Amino acid sequence: MSTDSDQSKESGRSASEKARVPVPTDSQVSRRGFLQLVSGSVGAVGGLGALAAALSPLTELDRSEFTAEHFFQKHYKELNPDEMNLVLDRIRKEVESLYGVTASLADLKAGDGVGFAYALNLGRCIGCRKCVHACVKENNQSRSPEIQYIRVLEMPRGSVDIERGNHHYVRPRVPDENHYYMPIQCHQCSNPPCVKVCPIEATWQDEDGVTVIDYNWCIGCRYCEAACPYWARRFNFTRPGYTDPKSEINPEMNYLSNRPRTQGVMEKCHFCLHRTRAGKMPACLEVCPVGARKFGNLLDPDSEVSQILHNKHVFVLKQEVGTMPRFFYYFDQEYPRKKEATSGEQRRASGDLLQGETERGEPA
Amino acid sequence: MTGPGLLLLGCWFLWGMDLTDMPTTKASTVPIQLLSTAPRRAVLSDPAMITLDGFERTCMDCHRLFPARDMAPEELLKHGHIVLDHGINNLCRNCHYTEDRNLLVLHDGRPIGYDDVVVLCAKCHGPTFRDWERGMHGRTNGYWDAAQGEPRRLGCTECHDPHNPRVPAMDPMRPLPPPNTIRMGDHGRAEHEEVEEIDPLRRVLNDGH
Repeated sequence: MSTDSDQSKESGRSASEKARVPVPTDSQVSRRGFLQLVSGSVGAVGGLGALAAALSPLTELDRSEFTAEHFFQKHYKELNPDEMNLVLDRIRKEVESLYGVTASLADLKAGDGVGFAYALNLGRCIGCRKCVHACVKENNQSRSPEIQYIRVLEMPRGSVDIERGNHHYVRPRVPDENHYYMPIQCHQCSNPPCVKVCPIEATWQDEDGVTVIDYNWCIGCRYCEAACPYWARRFNFTRPGYTDPKSEINPEMNYLSNRPRTQGVMEKCHFCLHRTRAGKMPACLEVCPVGARKFGNLLDPDSEVSQILHNKHVFVLKQEVGTMPRFFYYFDQEYPRKKEATSGEQRRASGDLLQGETERGEPA
Repeated sequence: MTGPGLLLLGCWFLWGMDLTDMPTTKASTVPIQLLSTAPRRAVLSDPAMITLDGFERTCMDCHRLFPARDMAPEELLKHGHIVLDHGINNLCRNCHYTEDRNLLVLHDGRPIGYDDVVVLCAKCHGPTFRDWERGMHGRTNGYWDAAQGEPRRLGCTECHDPHNPRVPAMDPMRPLPPPNTIRMGDHGRAEHEEVEEIDPLRRVLNDGH
């Protein structure tokens, strides 16, 4: 330091002349310096490129969903009623601006002394898939790509091996004589594996037994989808797409049930809790043309589901995995029934005519 | 070097480059009338009414003049549109009262009104009636919680045609369109194929297992 200043004083050179001294001019680039420069810049560009590629999915996210209010919103269970009202107001405005739908958004809580259960009569189900589409309509699932909560399996007669069920059957008429039909949706397990694997408690089981999801808390890791033995959870790979939002979106909404979801969150059947917590039947039951679906309060001994559990031979799907579902299946007749021979000739030919009976059912 | 690079990256995120488009299937609309929650059949009034030449008439308006004869349904000259396909119950007078056609008849000969048709059905279908009373058979629409609204349990003839009580086969609504997940099996086998051997996890390997 001192020698430099001494030298500069001594030599009488200007500061600028002095500054140029240690910097090599173009002709003076050393081999080592050049290689450092090239490898450094290549590394930096490559590193940035890799970072950009790794983060590129973020560009697909909707920036309107990244406001401070979203970011600082508390977990559902920590929201007090005033904060919840603010959140509901915000979501109402978002739905209005995104879809042009004026929604009535509420946050219904589980009722006292209510434990929901569902029973499905496999002997009656004809596999018409009306429940599937009524559910989509009721719960504002994405139409494109299409998300359905219920899947109906066409099962070979005499087997309950769901690996042999056909998810995609297309027939001119159902039911087919050689099959029966098994609709599967969220079983609202009492011991839910999907809740156990959630790393952030975005999904939990409410007091009435419905496993719910806070769509604002979900990070979309999809662990729950992998954990569910009933294939009940669905993931929003894109923002839900509607052909005509104004006519398709159901304005009766609830925070934990059917409000429009965002991209990157899980969803699933919630027993239509915006309906059922108001005492109504779920949409899939309302539309069922054969009365195969039964819903009610398990804690009420006179309810339809309690009667079914007491009087019918019910079974649960995949009992061995210990999930204790609230969704029960039962048969009370062989179905689909083979077409009966009804005319006297046909019945006589098939040996079905009662003894002493003539064609018209009169004693001979 | 890093500073400008991060700035560029920031700009890229801010003003966005939608590099990836997810292929999505086009949504097909579902006919709304297929999702009606109304009962399958209209309930008959008591007494049952029939429209003749634009006038609403009861059965007895005609049958007072033309006494009903005890005939097998296939011999009938009138009411040809009725298909009687009710198992061994194949005579009109098993359910219709011969003296007064505005009434139905129990199997012990006592007449009963159209409103009480459930009681008539129960005379033969005892176990089904027992299940229906407890809500284990048939449709209950409306409310599960009677404290909050009226549950509406549909009667026999709101779903079943009493002359032909089997619920008819119907068109299934369409399944989930592809693309789909591996767990949902193979889309290529939808049409009437034997589906007994489908194993969704193995089918995709296409190695004959």
